[in-house]
Amino acid sequence: MSAIEETKREISVPRPPSANISPTNIERLWIIGTGLTVAAVIALLKAYTELPVPESLNSRALIIWLIITGIVAALGIQRLLDVLSSVRFGVILLVLLASASMVGMLVMQVNVDGFDRYYAELSPAQKIVGRALGFFDIYHAWYFNALLLVLSLNIVLASIDHFPKAWTFISRKKLDASAHWLKGQDQHASLTLSGESRAAVVERIAAAFKSVGLRKPIVTEKGDKLFVFGERGAWNRLAAYAVHVALLTIFLGGFLTGMYGHTGNLRLRPGESGSIISETVFKIDPQTRQFEPTTDEFELPFTVECTDIQQQLIKKEGPITADNTMNWRTWVRFKKEGSPDREALVELNHPIDYGGFRFFQASFEAEGKARHITLRITPEQGGTPQNVTIKRDGSATLADGTRVEFKDFSGNFRLGGAPPPQESDYSNPGATLAVTPPGGATVQAFAFNERMAESAPIAKRPVAGYTFRLVDFEKSPSAHILSVQRDPGATLVYIGFTLLGLTLIYAFFFSHQRVWALVEPRGGAFGVVLGGNTNRNKLAFGDRFKRLVGAIDGQTTEVKQS
Amino acid sequence: MSEVLKQPVVASPDAPIAEGSLRSYFPAALAVGGAVALTLLRIQAGGENFISDGALMMLALAAYLIAAVFYLTNLYAPSTLFQKIGLWAATAGVFFNLASWCVRWVAGYDREYVIHMAQGTPMPWAFRYIPFANLYDLSLAFAFGAGITTLLIAHRPTFRFLGALSLPLAALILILARFIGGELINLPPVLDSYWRPIHVGIAAISYGVALVCFAVAVVYLLKDGVKTEAMAIWSSLFCLAVIGTISRGSVFTSGIYSASTFVGNSRSSLPLRADIPYVGLLLVISGLLLAGVIVAFLVYLSRKDERARRWGHWLLKFSLIGQAAAVVTLVSQVKSITDVLSHIDTRQYERFSVWMLKEEMTQARMPATMIQERVAQFSPQELYQMADQYVQQNGAALRLSLNANPVELAALITCFAATLFCIIFSFRTERLRESLPSLEKIDSLMYKTAGVAFAGLALLLMTGAVWANESWGRYWGWDSKETGAFVAWLTYAGFLHTRISRGWTGRPSAYFAIIAFLLVIFTYLGVSYLLPGLHSYA
Repeated sequence: MSAIEETKREISVPRPPSANISPTNIERLWIIGTGLTVAAVIALLKAYTELPVPESLNSRALIIWLIITGIVAALGIQRLLDVLSSVRFGVILLVLLASASMVGMLVMQVNVDGFDRYYAELSPAQKIVGRALGFFDIYHAWYFNALLLVLSLNIVLASIDHFPKAWTFISRKKLDASAHWLKGQDQHASLTLSGESRAAVVERIAAAFKSVGLRKPIVTEKGDKLFVFGERGAWNRLAAYAVHVALLTIFLGGFLTGMYGHTGNLRLRPGESGSIISETVFKIDPQTRQFEPTTDEFELPFTVECTDIQQQLIKKEGPITADNTMNWRTWVRFKKEGSPDREALVELNHPIDYGGFRFFQASFEAEGKARHITLRITPEQGGTPQNVTIKRDGSATLADGTRVEFKDFSGNFRLGGAPPPQESDYSNPGATLAVTPPGGATVQAFAFNERMAESAPIAKRPVAGYTFRLVDFEKSPSAHILSVQRDPGATLVYIGFTLLGLTLIYAFFFSHQRVWALVEPRGGAFGVVLGGNTNRNKLAFGDRFKRLVGAIDGQTTEVKQS
Repeated sequence: MSEVLKQPVVASPDAPIAEGSLRSYFPAALAVGGAVALTLLRIQAGGENFISDGALMMLALAAYLIAAVFYLTNLYAPSTLFQKIGLWAATAGVFFNLASWCVRWVAGYDREYVIHMAQGTPMPWAFRYIPFANLYDLSLAFAFGAGITTLLIAHRPTFRFLGALSLPLAALILILARFIGGELINLPPVLDSYWRPIHVGIAAISYGVALVCFAVAVVYLLKDGVKTEAMAIWSSLFCLAVIGTISRGSVFTSGIYSASTFVGNSRSSLPLRADIPYVGLLLVISGLLLAGVIVAFLVYLSRKDERARRWGHWLLKFSLIGQAAAVVTLVSQVKSITDVLSHIDTRQYERFSVWMLKEEMTQARMPATMIQERVAQFSPQELYQMADQYVQQNGAALRLSLNANPVELAALITCFAATLFCIIFSFRTERLRESLPSLEKIDSLMYKTAGVAFAGLALLLMTGAVWANESWGRYWGWDSKETGAFVAWLTYAGFLHTRISRGWTGRPSAYFAIIAFLLVIFTYLGVSYLLPGLHSYA
């Protein structure tokens, strides 16, 4: 018998004969009656009373409930449990889940960029079928969730079913075996040891067991037969269950996130504050049957003030596109009543946690702005020009007390009209300034680079006694968009991941290996029958078994080995 | 020679090296150690007079093919010498493969150094330019994963023959990489995370193990007595599917194969396709021969008709010649045609104009329904003129390149390899079966590799989820690549569970392993080239 067959036998739990487990017709009537009553009560409560009935108990939920009632009535609870806890049913669920996922891969999903184009090009028939079967958002379809739920249930029930049998490998070890059984194992050998006492033979076998890593061999005596049993990695029998526990932990964490989590985007311009995160959800409107984006909003229990944004470019002379970016940096200040402000820096791939929410860099608005500018300021009456660097929305005071404020910046400056939005190039950089002479009124001024200044007369005209030239500037987008997430399931998911990684390695890179030696007197010598099996990694076990036989077999007269 | 032939078992130099001892891992250790040493040398010597990563990759490709040839020969004519040459060629292949990847990393450093020196900005950390940025890099690492797994398994002399199947597959992946082209790219900034080397590294290794598992499954089927004729039917169906779908399905409908073009130095190919003379005809002939193969072998399998069998084998051989001729013609024509303009069929003008219009409007962020309305307003004449005008202007800059359709080319070569292996396996099949290890041992190895592939894919999915959560704030988005890997993982899960519940070892297991690997390949290539999503870059 192969180890696989043994495994199969070991984990198949005997069932009572199936004659008794089907429900009688009376029982079926009772089950259906109860199911209908519950459905009717909920429907009536919803229709005629003000009692708080959960939103999710809608007509679809009632239909599902009735289907479940029907299945229970047809199969009976015992048989239903049998089906739900069978590994075979689990494999069917795996295949169904894989098929549904494949459909979701091949049919474009509503949340994917470009779905509108895809949907517009489908034929009316494709649209009707796709919508009816929920193929455009299959991962959120009710049947997909039901599949995941039934699969989880199957994992739990199948594990409960099979665990006790696996536990016996640890709790009740098989210490002896017949010669016939041993010779039927994957690995077996017979040898004869002569010229030694029984104790010496057993001692030698036990030492050989230890030398090949079968620690703590157990010697049992039965009549004139002696048994030596050695094993390693018995706990490996439980590895598969640990893997499933890890999977369920991840599912549970994912469920918590799905139920109680929030996600959304927060658009931050330097100097502005915000507390409402919004998320665009794409849906096919059931009435218009058109693809419509809708926006979900959620208010954070605190406000986020943006103090500065910076885009670190790879090439300074290049555009502010994602291609040319090393990192995005957003400085924020979290403000909450009753607690001190907290300052933080959100960078790409370095999220920040605050108040149970997590802030990530998501995207940016590529409107050509500047984080700081350097001006060459020349007095009208002559004198040495001086270079002054001013931060965004900042100001500088010149030696004579004139205040220069940096009001605005445009990468593609156009006088007398707003620049077109989303203009990310810096072909005509220009800064708008507010200049206030000591004791005088504030005047608007512009600063351009040398090339522009030559062609624009307005740039040459002195303002408040000075001319301004734009010498240098640090490119910056107009706003950063942070992705905000509240994820109550995160800890569980991470624990599940760690557990899954470790248990999978334990399950597939280790094995439970067992070897028995039966020693009995044969003529003037001792006959030894060795046999062993493993639940995994038969090739490595075969190597170990060979070494074991070699270690025992010092002066054997006869060796028969498979 | 006759002496050797009488001996039906694969020569295995069992005696000097004990199985499982550390010495038996020497080739794998040598390959890795050598690659590290070469990399250190490259860092010391600088890039100017040193062998490039591209050249190292070609050496790896050659070494893999040489190893495969010797291993295959050894299966038919067992010889300790051939087996040794096979092993050392495989070792050399893995060495060149890993060295190419490492040297590419150093080359990435050099490239970043030039950029950052010019900018006066500090050098970024080493993982920014680790070669895990696009499909080329992944393919290089994938082939290494398959190679090192083969070498590690080769520590058991009984399984050395496995390289005969897994190394040609690794070579095919390198060929694909060659066609994709290995220019270093600017990294999309969101990928600059320490999770990238972890995630993509695990991907490469687990894909490699899955590939070896596939090879083991094929060997199992062969040993189990599955008729090579049945295999030939499946492989012919695959080839027909490839020939029928490449070049937008034009091969069987109009007998013409056309290749995508580049304009000027652009790296993204245009859907303006140039007809390549003779290739379509050769592919049609090969395809018809394969259809004949399928019919002949079906007749043979259903009626035990010996004549049909012989006919089938002849047709298979002729088809192989046809496919080889098609690939050679394609490559030589792509290299030699200079006046691309004269090969552009004007019948595709309307479709090309529609494509151009849609690209333009999508870039202008126009809503889809509006795009459709606008495009519909153009008359066929207008569309034709638009494309005509474009071709008049850019015709001189149109050029053909092997890099324009990497997947189509690699798929054709894969068809050739599949047909070739069907022919090789049909030759003295019984002798081949005898020289393979026992079914139980092959099954054991299949289970082991599938288990490792399953664990590897699970780690891949998990590291991907953690990375996604750290970068985007969500674990799982049902992105195509995520889902693809998930489906492949589920298939391996199915493989493992059917062994328990139905005792489905052996053949059903082998089918599962084959399907799972096809899904892995679909995830690796299909998703990048056919489906939209976040992973489109790799």
